[in-house]
Amino acid sequence: MTTESTTLSLLRLALDAASMRHLAIADNIANAGSAGYVPQQVNFEQQLGFARQSLAAGLPLQAGSLDAVQPYLEPVPGAHLSSTATLDMEVARLSQNTLHYQSLLRALSRHTAILSTAINEGRR
Amino acid sequence: MDYQSAMAISASGMAVEKTRLDVTALNLANASSTRAGGALYQPLTVISAPRQSAGFARAMAAWGRTMPAALPRGVEVVEVRATGVPPRLVYEPSHPDADAKGYVAYPGINPVTEMVNIIAATRAYEANLAAMNAARTMAQRALDIGGTQ
Repeated sequence: MTTESTTLSLLRLALDAASMRHLAIADNIANAGSAGYVPQQVNFEQQLGFARQSLAAGLPLQAGSLDAVQPYLEPVPGAHLSSTATLDMEVARLSQNTLHYQSLLRALSRHTAILSTAINEGRR
Repeated sequence: MDYQSAMAISASGMAVEKTRLDVTALNLANASSTRAGGALYQPLTVISAPRQSAGFARAMAAWGRTMPAALPRGVEVVEVRATGVPPRLVYEPSHPDADAKGYVAYPGINPVTEMVNIIAATRAYEANLAAMNAARTMAQRALDIGGTQ
């Protein structure tokens, strides 16, 4: 079952990225009043371009191809926004990220449920 | 879900905003003080900055980018500084603290500025609280991985 390892790897990476993104957003909110603070963001989805390309071409995703993908923090480019303008945007991003995290968790649970069905030979 | 770091970051943000509220309240309370230990009361403002680990600069140089060792660590108050706004002079010859020309020096506190500071600090505090609640929700949902869904 080759889809198993890639799905689990992707979900693990995406959950790590969402967790790191929450830290970045929480830090941006905490530093809303700090002069000279540069907001942080997470670089993750940009690294998955090759995965989208191979899936669009109808090719299966190789598990080893995800080894180099690693979410990391980077400063928001061109960010010298006023603190009041960022606060509402950050809270909006926060709730979006929370929902995204929960949908990833749901996907992970569904995936394990499918595995469980296979282990039980289709029986309940 | 690294909920301990997330909550520590949000808690540091709430502590800083609370300090801001305290200092603003101190300024407003002393708006009419004409003496403070011999000198005139100086309006204060809070300077905050990102909290950084000891080896932050070294880690940044060694790795070339922000690595897990240098994850966000929240915010801290670095200084409570006098704003340097000149005192407000009011002509009150009968006041015991009046100078030779009859002017009394009051601290240069603008009530409108202070009220705006209160509102901004309250909103920022609420945003930190929202972030903390989101972290709690995410950590609780993460406990349900592999549940019967």
